[in-house]
Amino acid sequence: MKRYLLFVVLLVGLLVQAACSNSESKAAPITVENVRANMTMPTDTGSFWMLITNNSDTDDALLGAAVDGCGVIELHDMVMENDVMVMRPVAGGKIPIPAGQTVELKPGGLHVMCMQKAAPLALGTKVKIELEFANAGTITVEGEVVEPAMSSGGMNNN
Amino acid sequence: MMNRTTWGVFMILCWLVGCQRPYQFAGTLLPVPQPAPDIALESVNGPVSLRDFAGQYTFVYFGYRFCPDVCPVTMGKLKQVKADLGNRGNEMAVVMITVDPERDTPEALAEYMAYFDDSFVGLSGDPEAIDAVGKPFGLHYHQHQGSAASGYLIDHTARFFLLDREGNMILSYAHETPLDDLLRDVRHLIETQ
Ligand SMILES: [Cu+2]
Repeated sequence: MKRYLLFVVLLVGLLVQAACSNSESKAAPITVENVRANMTMPTDTGSFWMLITNNSDTDDALLGAAVDGCGVIELHDMVMENDVMVMRPVAGGKIPIPAGQTVELKPGGLHVMCMQKAAPLALGTKVKIELEFANAGTITVEGEVVEPAMSSGGMNNN
Repeated sequence: MMNRTTWGVFMILCWLVGCQRPYQFAGTLLPVPQPAPDIALESVNGPVSLRDFAGQYTFVYFGYRFCPDVCPVTMGKLKQVKADLGNRGNEMAVVMITVDPERDTPEALAEYMAYFDDSFVGLSGDPEAIDAVGKPFGLHYHQHQGSAASGYLIDHTARFFLLDREGNMILSYAHETPLDDLLRDVRHLIETQ
């Protein structure tokens, strides 16, 4: 009886391990997390922030995005140069996501810029965003509408 | 050399007479307070000059509505500062002067500012008037060509400024100044001046 139990435990252990390593090797090449939509203001623009991780060993790049209610979407960067805020479309129109790295789109930095916004969205609304990658193809993720000021996660760390 | 007892007595005396260090502002103090320019800009309710806010501590920011996050982050912080001041919140005012008068009409700015707080004021006007008001603040801005969709984008000073109750510019703040530091400075001014 004891032997039989030990055998079952071992078997279960092996199965669990197999399942784990299996899911690891099958991890999506690109994962997108913490998607936030800055879309509440009564203006024509908005922005999206997120964490994009490249789990593969090939470099990838974000090429563009699409969201219902945004007439035009561009990929932008924002930098502070001697107290002057500078916002520009990213070089080459793409955001590189190097192999094995996580790139952060965040307030005051890289963002997916929504222009010709149809209407402001209410806080907490879920928004679908279609992201187009050079290698990984199209990935659709869901974000939540947040307040523009709240979104600055690192605000108190400066 | 001071022994422990002398040191202790000294510390107690110090505490009694209050040898505290002078208050350290989070913002950058101007060596000499500068009177804010008395130049009329356009609000939704007609002409307004920065001098009209005398009597309140007034934050002045230069920005534009197209900007999706730097400007709103500052407005959002100032909204919170005002809220945290509680019943003394009305001793503080917030003014945003647009660097994009072509697209930011007084009406559009009023709607934008009301999104943050009903008391916040948005000012537009002739580019010449905006430049003249911005000059003593060291305002820098310039348009650069955007895409067909954005038309143009504007690089602009992200620092913001605080005027005292007499309408003098006394402090300037970096964009990253944490909310708590802003609140501490305004509270200090309101309660001690
Ligand atoms: Cu942008």
